[in-house]
Amino acid sequence: MNQWEVFVMDMAELAEGKDLALSIRTLNPGRHKYTYKHVRCQVSTDLDKHPDRLQVRMGRGQLSTAKFSIQVIEEIRRLPPQYA
Amino acid sequence: MSKISAPRSNREFIEACVQAGDAVRIKQEVDWENEAGAIVRRACELGAAAPFMEKIKDYPGFSYFGAPLSTYRRMAISLGMDPASSLPEIGKEYLKRTNSEPIAPVVIDRKDAPCKENILMGADVDLCKLPVPLVHDGDGGRYVGTWHAVVTKHPVRGDVNWGMYRQMMFDSRTMSGAVFPFSDLGKQLTEYYLPRGLSCPFATAIGLSPLAAMAACAPSPIPEPELVGMLSGEPARLVKCETNDLEVPADAEIIIEGEICPDYKVEEGPFGEYTGYRTSPRDFRVTFRVNCITYRNNATMTISNMGVPQDEGQLLRSFSLGLELEKLLRSQGIPVTGVYMHPRSTHHMMIVGVKPSYSGIAQQIGQLAFGSKLGPWFHMVMVVDDQTDIYNWDEVYHAFCTRCHPENGIHVYRNTTGTPLYPFATPQERKYSIGSKVVFDCLWPVDWDKVNDVPTLVSFKNVYPQDIQDRVLANWTAYGYPEVKK
Repeated sequence: MNQWEVFVMDMAELAEGKDLALSIRTLNPGRHKYTYKHVRCQVSTDLDKHPDRLQVRMGRGQLSTAKFSIQVIEEIRRLPPQYA
Repeated sequence: MSKISAPRSNREFIEACVQAGDAVRIKQEVDWENEAGAIVRRACELGAAAPFMEKIKDYPGFSYFGAPLSTYRRMAISLGMDPASSLPEIGKEYLKRTNSEPIAPVVIDRKDAPCKENILMGADVDLCKLPVPLVHDGDGGRYVGTWHAVVTKHPVRGDVNWGMYRQMMFDSRTMSGAVFPFSDLGKQLTEYYLPRGLSCPFATAIGLSPLAAMAACAPSPIPEPELVGMLSGEPARLVKCETNDLEVPADAEIIIEGEICPDYKVEEGPFGEYTGYRTSPRDFRVTFRVNCITYRNNATMTISNMGVPQDEGQLLRSFSLGLELEKLLRSQGIPVTGVYMHPRSTHHMMIVGVKPSYSGIAQQIGQLAFGSKLGPWFHMVMVVDDQTDIYNWDEVYHAFCTRCHPENGIHVYRNTTGTPLYPFATPQERKYSIGSKVVFDCLWPVDWDKVNDVPTLVSFKNVYPQDIQDRVLANWTAYGYPEVKK
């Protein structure tokens, strides 16, 4: 199970049952902890619904008590090809 | 100029600090995730010795040096002065050196540059190979650049800029950072690169000599490579980058080369800031794409942990902003006796001492200060007379509370330039860097009769004849009081 974290200004940004585009960072241990990916995903407050876990922080870094499960559907490649 | 004996590199500086008792070697392993940051923060809040952390979890061979210039003692060491030098003495030395002739840098061969000892290019480039710390719990990411210089050059004018723009690691090859529109780099991007859709070459230098860091932090009009030479009394040693034409400090510990993307932005923040808060919102900000990393063997990453006072962001910025304003005011013929920013104001309040020789001088000082390049960084100017010790907060506070007329002495300027980091600013003001400014005029009006209208200061020094003062001072311990330390 992968652990992820997301920053939001409003919990409404984490609508359940919809495809969302989020920047999430990995909380998996190791040198790459806290690096980000842009992903298309679905989230749920049902922790058994999706394979990975998502932790939430608010806009000034406050840790939310809300917990989600998350399904990363695909990584979104926003980077223009000249910088790849 | 007499020979200056200042540390020429971060390594020499660490050694000098250890020798003076102003740095401690931490031998036990420290975690890059929060622990290193917490050590630095506590050292800042205690005014303690700088932590030199020699063993970092997951990163053998690397070390951290935290809070490099968060005390005036370490600032004195960085200038090659006696660590016990007083703040006015340090300020006087800074003014003397920065008013001297510019000293041009020298470019050395890359084989002689320590920062080229290890080179990562192409698929090997990965910021996670560096011990990038999570400085504060809840930060938006691990911050690569907290005490460093982002080197850029204007492609037409050739102006070189070294600036301390914070940089967060977004992924293995991407950083994002806060670059304010009124900053040198901000202007360069908005005037040249962004309208043309061109990427801007950059190089981030980490683990600089303390005077190079001081130059990168100072709001001086002098190009930073020359300013380093003036501060250290000898030419700065630069070396050309591997992937662009920029020149970087050859003795730096780590160099990150790349390009600022005009058409790609990723999120940055939040981050613990110099005001002592997380204020600026998480947002899509200037994005740095990394093409090459070079570093010294056993490289030391420098960490500044910004938060409540006092850290080097507050201390050095207050120091250099105050002295640069003093230079500006003197250049305009204002009869200032000194300018000081207390670091605990988180560089928000200028205290200006002046001979009150004509009406409106406090407002003139405020207008010059706020209208200058320095202005966006502070919003309060307090003007006191030449009899008030600007370094003595008790005297300044007394002058403020007793001489500043609540109606005639407070002058507010609206819709000026501000920073998104002002904790008191409205969300709208933060978004568009809008500020408000205030001058506190703590001078007796010059049209008051000096005999009958101006109150007499009732103090030991001011109301007793000199012979009585001398007698009381000479007999002080004989009266039964302990000796007073000066």
